[in-house]
Amino acid sequence: MKNRTWGAVPAALLTAFLVVGSNAAHADRLDDIKKAGVLRVAAFDSNPPFGFVDPKDNQITGLDVDYARAVAKSLGVKLEIQPTNPANRIAFLKSGKVDLVFANFTITDERKKEVDFSTPYFASGTQFIAKKGVLKSPEQLNSLRIGADKGTTNEQQVRAKFPNATIVAYDDTPFAFAALRTGNVQAITQDGPKLVALLARVPDKANYEISPFTISNDYEGVGVPKGETRLLDVVNSTLTHLEADGEAAQIYDKWFGPKSAAPLPRLFKIGDPEKSS
Amino acid sequence: MHNWLEPKYLAWLEQGFLVTLMLSACAALCATPLGFVLAVARTARTGAIARGAAAYVFVFRNSPLLVQLLFWYFGAAAVLPPAWMAWLNTPHAVTLGTLTLRWPSFELFAGWVGLTCYTTAFIGEEFLAGMRGVNPAQGQAAAALGMSRYATLRYVILPQALRIATPPLAGQYMNVIKNSSLTMAIGVGELSYMSRQVDTESFRTFQAFGTATVFYVLAIAVIEVALVLWQRTGVRTLQRGRV
Amino acid sequence: MNGFDWLPALRYLLLGAFPAGPLGGVALTFVLSVVSALLAALFGLAGGIALAMTRGFAHLALTVVVAFFRAIPVLMLIFWTFFLMPILLHVDVPGLATVVCALALIGGAYLSHSVYAGITSIGDGQRQAALSLGLTRWQTLREVILPQAVRVMMPSFVNQWVSLIKDTSLAYIVGVPEFTFLANQLNNRLMVYPAQIFLFVALVYLLLCGALQWVANALLVRRKSTRLRASEVQAGKLMHELQNCR
Repeated sequence: MKNRTWGAVPAALLTAFLVVGSNAAHADRLDDIKKAGVLRVAAFDSNPPFGFVDPKDNQITGLDVDYARAVAKSLGVKLEIQPTNPANRIAFLKSGKVDLVFANFTITDERKKEVDFSTPYFASGTQFIAKKGVLKSPEQLNSLRIGADKGTTNEQQVRAKFPNATIVAYDDTPFAFAALRTGNVQAITQDGPKLVALLARVPDKANYEISPFTISNDYEGVGVPKGETRLLDVVNSTLTHLEADGEAAQIYDKWFGPKSAAPLPRLFKIGDPEKSS
Repeated sequence: MHNWLEPKYLAWLEQGFLVTLMLSACAALCATPLGFVLAVARTARTGAIARGAAAYVFVFRNSPLLVQLLFWYFGAAAVLPPAWMAWLNTPHAVTLGTLTLRWPSFELFAGWVGLTCYTTAFIGEEFLAGMRGVNPAQGQAAAALGMSRYATLRYVILPQALRIATPPLAGQYMNVIKNSSLTMAIGVGELSYMSRQVDTESFRTFQAFGTATVFYVLAIAVIEVALVLWQRTGVRTLQRGRV
Repeated sequence: MNGFDWLPALRYLLLGAFPAGPLGGVALTFVLSVVSALLAALFGLAGGIALAMTRGFAHLALTVVVAFFRAIPVLMLIFWTFFLMPILLHVDVPGLATVVCALALIGGAYLSHSVYAGITSIGDGQRQAALSLGLTRWQTLREVILPQAVRVMMPSFVNQWVSLIKDTSLAYIVGVPEFTFLANQLNNRLMVYPAQIFLFVALVYLLLCGALQWVANALLVRRKSTRLRASEVQAGKLMHELQNCR
């Protein structure tokens, strides 16, 4: 008899805990955010100018962070940044550790099965950096060792289009670039704007060049947990308003404008029609 | 089976498992003799050698393997002369009859070096504990018989030390397999790396990590079983009166 | 390191963004280590005692569980607790808690094994003497066996805690801003000083682990002499009473 009650009590507690827990998951994320007063966002910490650590105050800052701050302001809550690399983005979102992903998150159909995307706020194409004079045309890629970031579309695209290339995946772009510098890989792949910004900040930039071709057309959006339609609507309306009142252009100017470290003309505005890849 | 994981992803995991086994085997094979040398060095009469060996053990046992691997991959690579780096990075192949040995990629090489240096410190300590576990009377008896220090070591102390050290050594070999998972941080395509890869592409988190865990536990279990078998046969030979 | 302002970088590595952000760096490593160590010790004691006190199926089940946690690589367990636990339990678990959980489970499994070995290493005579004096099994464990076993187990505990300090560096893989993570961030920013940065990181860990071992040695040597006398007195008392009972 004693054994029976002993077994029943923890079992009942566990069931109660799971039931309460499951019910909690069905509450709307937007309400949770407003109740907690905090919007948790995953952003890069080593990918200037999208997300990086400002050495002056050791806070994470960047283009993605500015957009995230605008969303937090429109919700009336504080912004909390969780540093991430490309490999951990989706995991953070799916396991509920963050509410949104602002990390140069490329929109793909495969990913749409797992997460929802906002309207795109950035456009780019997959490009390559190599030591000067090494990579001149896409055909060479099949014979090279290429560094990529784990969990990025760049990695998947190169693997799909150049099956004979050897791809080494690293946790983040600076790792891949270090591998390029030591000669471990002959080229690395990432979104064009990221590579431009990376090259501008590298101390020995004269030795490297960005190859003059892209192999895709990609759009980046905000990652939203699947099924959170009210949150998604808030994010979309914030982004559209930012474009309408010119703040989106200002944010772009701050990081990619003529006075920035890596100027790039703004070819895509929020709400522009998407080209097919 | 199809609902568990697609065959493509299963193949990635199997490939990763092979890399894990190969890397662990190479590291263990190199670390064992080196660890033995280290243990002998620790008991050396010359103070400098003993102190140097003790310092090696202290440094490599008290810093995380992850940091050591990052150092070998990034730090050492930055410090070595560019000519060496160029040689280490180009694929070399040696053909011995029908067997072609290919020089591994740099991350595999750095992972192997890091894992070996780390494991050597631990294996050295196990050998040392084995040698210390031998009754001092044995050494004294050998000296009384007029055996040289080298002969004492070779015929009296070491056989007994090795028998004492074998269970903890098996434990260290199990640790090598587990520690090899850390090389994923420097890009080695072993089992943990592949499970992460499968997870990010197929989003089947449970299946990817579950399969990888099963592979690891299997590998560890094999070593455990081998140890138990060795102990059983060892006991039987002792009971029969042989040493 | 010319032209490089190393003081704020050093402060960042030691404390993270605190107080303008969450605690990070060496301070977080320290907190992670202490919390995991305490939990692991708790699990280890509970598990070891459970292993010693159970028989048959429960004992076998416990042995299998402990063996599983000793066979799984720490990295894989961190993946499990970090990525899967929140999905399975539908509860949001902060990154720190998942890492502490993983480290405590593995540390606890190793310590269970050591505690069990320590308990069984105390001669059966002690247990039988206590039982024949009318002490219950639990009283035997608490008053006679454990005090002696703890002395035997302490080196294992210290070793496991040193391992734990090193294993906190694995939190880097899941984005917890502890020391290795921040050092890597710094390396990504500076790009050209990898050897110096990682040597410094290794040095700090050496200091942390070395300090723990030194403190443990100092405390153990002192306690060893007093405990030895105390347990010897206890054992002597028991034998005396046994003889008198005859």
